[in-house]
Amino acid sequence: MTIVVMGKFQTLIHHLSGKRVIKRMRIVWEEEHMKQRRLKVFAASLILLSGFVILVLAMTKKESMRELTPVKLIANAETMDNQNVQLVGAISEESTQWNGDEFKLTFAVRELEDTETEHKGIKTVNVIYHKLKPDNFIDGGNVFVEGKYDAQQNLIVANKVTTKCASKYEEAESVKTTDGSS
Amino acid sequence: MFIQNLVGGIQNVAAELGQAAIFLALFSTLWAIVSLWIGLRGRNPNFIKSGRNAVIATFLLISVATGALIFGFVTDDFSMMYVVEVSSPTQPLPYKITALWGKMSGSLLFWLWLVTVFGAIVVWQNRKATDNLSDYALISIAVVQLFFVVLVTGWIEGIYNPLARFPNGEVRVGKGMNALLQTPSMAFHPPTLYIGWISLTIPFAFAVAALLSGRIGSDWIHRSRRWMLFSWIVLTIGITLGGNWAYRELGWGGYWAWDPVENASFMPWLLGTAYLHSVMIQEKRNMLKLWNILLITLAFQFTILGTFITRSGIISSVHAFVESDIGWYFVGFIFFSTTGVIALMAYRWQRLKSANRLESLLSRESAFVLNNWLFVGLTLIILWGTLWPIISEAIQGEKAAVPEAFFNKVVIIPGLILLFLTGAGPIISWKKITPNNFQRMFISPLFAGMVGGAVAWLFLNFRAHAKAAVEISVEAAEVATPNSLTRVWDFITFSGQPMPIFSILCVFASVFVLVAIFSEFYRGAKLRAKRQTTSFLNGLGLLIQRNKRRYGGYIVHIGIVILYIGIMGSKGYSLLEEGTLKLGESMDVGDYQFTMKDSFLEEHDNFIRSGVEFEVRRNGGKPNTMRPARHYYHTTGQGEKDTIESAIRHNGVDDIYIALGPLPTKLANGGNMQIPTKIDKETEVSLQIYHNPLISVVWIGVAVMVIGGLVAIAERSTSTPQSQTV
Repeated sequence: MTIVVMGKFQTLIHHLSGKRVIKRMRIVWEEEHMKQRRLKVFAASLILLSGFVILVLAMTKKESMRELTPVKLIANAETMDNQNVQLVGAISEESTQWNGDEFKLTFAVRELEDTETEHKGIKTVNVIYHKLKPDNFIDGGNVFVEGKYDAQQNLIVANKVTTKCASKYEEAESVKTTDGSS
Repeated sequence: MFIQNLVGGIQNVAAELGQAAIFLALFSTLWAIVSLWIGLRGRNPNFIKSGRNAVIATFLLISVATGALIFGFVTDDFSMMYVVEVSSPTQPLPYKITALWGKMSGSLLFWLWLVTVFGAIVVWQNRKATDNLSDYALISIAVVQLFFVVLVTGWIEGIYNPLARFPNGEVRVGKGMNALLQTPSMAFHPPTLYIGWISLTIPFAFAVAALLSGRIGSDWIHRSRRWMLFSWIVLTIGITLGGNWAYRELGWGGYWAWDPVENASFMPWLLGTAYLHSVMIQEKRNMLKLWNILLITLAFQFTILGTFITRSGIISSVHAFVESDIGWYFVGFIFFSTTGVIALMAYRWQRLKSANRLESLLSRESAFVLNNWLFVGLTLIILWGTLWPIISEAIQGEKAAVPEAFFNKVVIIPGLILLFLTGAGPIISWKKITPNNFQRMFISPLFAGMVGGAVAWLFLNFRAHAKAAVEISVEAAEVATPNSLTRVWDFITFSGQPMPIFSILCVFASVFVLVAIFSEFYRGAKLRAKRQTTSFLNGLGLLIQRNKRRYGGYIVHIGIVILYIGIMGSKGYSLLEEGTLKLGESMDVGDYQFTMKDSFLEEHDNFIRSGVEFEVRRNGGKPNTMRPARHYYHTTGQGEKDTIESAIRHNGVDDIYIALGPLPTKLANGGNMQIPTKIDKETEVSLQIYHNPLISVVWIGVAVMVIGGLVAIAERSTSTPQSQTV
């Protein structure tokens, strides 16, 4: 309907003032049309984008687990009970045991920079892992444990245990120098 | 004695020479920057020439420094701190050399050396160039070099000069490289990644050159196109080598775990891939000029960010190298260079505006734009997940991390859309899709895709129900006797089973892409053959030869499909069984029967190999042997005593993978060393057996991608982009 009216309008103008005006008006209409479409596209992309951002945020909230050291985990035992947690620490000396019949690795995790209190057993968290011991799993070595924390038993049943990869470099113990440059 | 003295003397000279070279390089990089700038501003060819020579000089100087360090490794110069840290007298020669990038100081020198090599190549490539675009690029390259030269001088706290020696002529004997790193793929993986990362400097430098010179057209893209492709190919190989190494060496049966460092290598790859696509829009339609510069800048910054993530220790990672302040120098560098690029962009704002606009949402331009959004979006999601420990600490005040599952979940939908675009992009028409284009190009791939999806659905359905039938007890089956209609419904909807919707979509998209791409090849080849009156195969050869860039790209797309199928199979359908066996005992995993027949103990140069021999049969068929083991190293740099050496057997495209648990050992060498003892009949051996379907398809997919990349890189950049036919 509008097109018909516009068409008639065009013919009228054509008669009145020649082709140039029509051409100009057509450009204006087209630009108007493009602008509207661009606006629509923009709105649609914005909705899609925000939807996706919400999805990512929701997923982050759902999957996020607090990263704690043994001492902090024990201190927050009540709130962390039955929660997924990432425990960061060192493998407590002489705590590792392998039970082949039950396919069970048990060990304790201590604070990274703490060798004194761990033997008292209060500042370590026990871990059970039903898979093979990963490479680089040595007493005192850095370890990440992911799993659910049981506050009552001070225990994590791990679904992932990672040791720091061999490319952990620059250990202070190997070389020290007073003058860095030469 | 004389020879010893002579070697000692040469070692002294070499180390001193190397150090002097690094300090001289400081001046040559500075001179390159200043001289090129003066020459370009004042149109003075002498200064430009001098600047170019300075870039070559930097290359020579850093080569001398690197050579001196390698000389130190080869001749066991244990007066050098770095040599002591990463090498030992018993280390095999190839690993003495790869120790160059074993730790931070050395890898920074290696990084620097690569930038200087690339700088020299740029000078050589453009020796006959009539414009000064490459000279502008050399300025940025020299700035990057300067940053790394400063890092290796040893002036910055936390990293020492890699050629530095102990004070007072002290000599210590090195403990050697970590046992885990002593495998060929570990020798190749880091340098490949480095080369991929560092070569991104060149396209970035050309982008900055475009801004500096004001020549924002497609020149800088043409000049750096092959560099970008080179970088992309090498990064693809490097990332895969890392995954392959993890798969074969680490004993957990997987190849990708979304570790921060893996992400750090993956993000520049994603951005680089986005860039490779978006430049085509600039060439074809003169659009996205600003975006392209932004993308390549981001890709380059992400390589530096990757270094920050790995070196700062700010994010807990299995790879994290050191908790030092050096990371902050990288952040400073990122800040400095990004600000510079943004300022230049603001300066050139008028010229960066697009000449054209998108005409339709359903057009090849839009497909490219969507592709770019997805690549950048994926990068941002991965960045978000990787930096979540920092972000959460800033927002919530407590450090938190997201597990592997987070990445797998958020990446899957954009990933599948991208897969679909891999086929849709090449067949959709420019400007606007027409009904004719849709009918001619889309109908048959879509139909084939749907058939493929339906077949996958049926197959997975039968598989799931067959598995469920085994698990459900007879008793349970008797209780419920549903009518046939319900049974059909249950079957269709995977009742009681998780619906593998993503697998079905993946197969749908894969078949769609393959049919779309192959028909592109078919149509093109037929046309060529007709025009040149030759055979179809000759036509195909001609087609690829005449337009290597386009058809090389299509080959990459085929590789992507293969890769997706591999990932789907190996990530979605792998099987893990654990067990503890004594010699002579057996266990079953899927269709396979494993019998532990024998044990062995082998002496090697720097380790003892202890393991067991399995007889493996598939459904009682022909027996095969597998020999999983553990290695016990004599010299252990960082303390680990033994490593899992999995046995992997390829069966078609599936893998059977056995990893051994702890084996019996005794203490030796005064209680310092664990030495394995022979496994006898009473020993219980714990083991994990994986069945990884379609895993070889992953490696095949990457190989096809690399081949496609090589075809594309073979095209000379001078050809006009409009020369595409068909």
